[in-house]
Amino acid sequence: MWIYEKKLQYPVNIRKKDLKMAKYLLSQYGGPDSELSASLRYLNQRYTMPDDKGKALLTDIGTEELAHLEIIATMAYQLMQGATIDEIKNAGLGGMFAQHDSGLFPTDAMGVPFTTAYIETSGDHIADIESDMAAEQRARATYEHLMDLTNDPDVLAPLSFLRQREVVHYQRFKELRNYYLDNKI
Amino acid sequence: MNNYYDRSKLDTYNYNNNNYNKPMYSKDENPNSLYDPYEGFIRGNLFKNLYNGYKLKNPIDIEPLNEQADLLTYIDAFSFAAHDISLYLDIYPKDPDMIQLFNKYKNETNRLVKEYENKFGPLFANSNADMRVPWAWSKSPWPWEK
Repeated sequence: MWIYEKKLQYPVNIRKKDLKMAKYLLSQYGGPDSELSASLRYLNQRYTMPDDKGKALLTDIGTEELAHLEIIATMAYQLMQGATIDEIKNAGLGGMFAQHDSGLFPTDAMGVPFTTAYIETSGDHIADIESDMAAEQRARATYEHLMDLTNDPDVLAPLSFLRQREVVHYQRFKELRNYYLDNKI
Repeated sequence: MNNYYDRSKLDTYNYNNNNYNKPMYSKDENPNSLYDPYEGFIRGNLFKNLYNGYKLKNPIDIEPLNEQADLLTYIDAFSFAAHDISLYLDIYPKDPDMIQLFNKYKNETNRLVKEYENKFGPLFANSNADMRVPWAWSKSPWPWEK
């Protein structure tokens, strides 16, 4: 089961409205390599891990990704606070507004709705962990693209935190994969 | 940096683990050292050899807006440090030094959470804090609110 903590894993206090950045951030909310995809991917794959190392790591990282999803949602929410209709239209979020008003809805940065097709589960633990390593690398690259798109320190700080988490997760997945291969598991 | 926030207080929490060796570290990486909980937290990474800032020249300090956010920063830092170590321990479960460090950071987190909950209300849905009237769990701010 899960217990809610009434705090973010990393604080978000964005002072400057930026609707375009909010739109770009949706890549990590409901895109293919988003925090939502990552969380559901690991939490589905954990059932077919061969030992305690794999079950623990996928449970713990899958849980952490939910905390990251909340950070991304918070950033998008704060970046859109107080937006006018014209600002929403100019940022290319008019279609989003028509369907969801300012409610958060998981799509990618181009408005493509989240799909479970993003969740890679093969039932083969080596295939799964190697796809997880690749997913962490793609997410790291996405965070770098997002960091390229802003110079606001209020936005850069949490993006940098999240980018580093991808680096650490990649490392742990790589160690797990090597452990399985070295021990013929 | 604002008046509420005193970085020197964090020195109290420096466990002097700058040359912390991790004997179970796998052969394809260098034995390295750990950041202290706050320095690791602002980087999103406790492990020095895994960090690079991408476009940030220096990591960005947390700037708590009030006493509540200030205390939360300590909780964030210690719970982050314990969490990052826990992922490591999932892979290297027989590393006694890292388990000891995990316990230390976890205990410090628990102590700070108790202090926070006494002052500002429950932080966890299953909080150990005594609940009074009115029901404090639902009270703003929620994590996404400023």
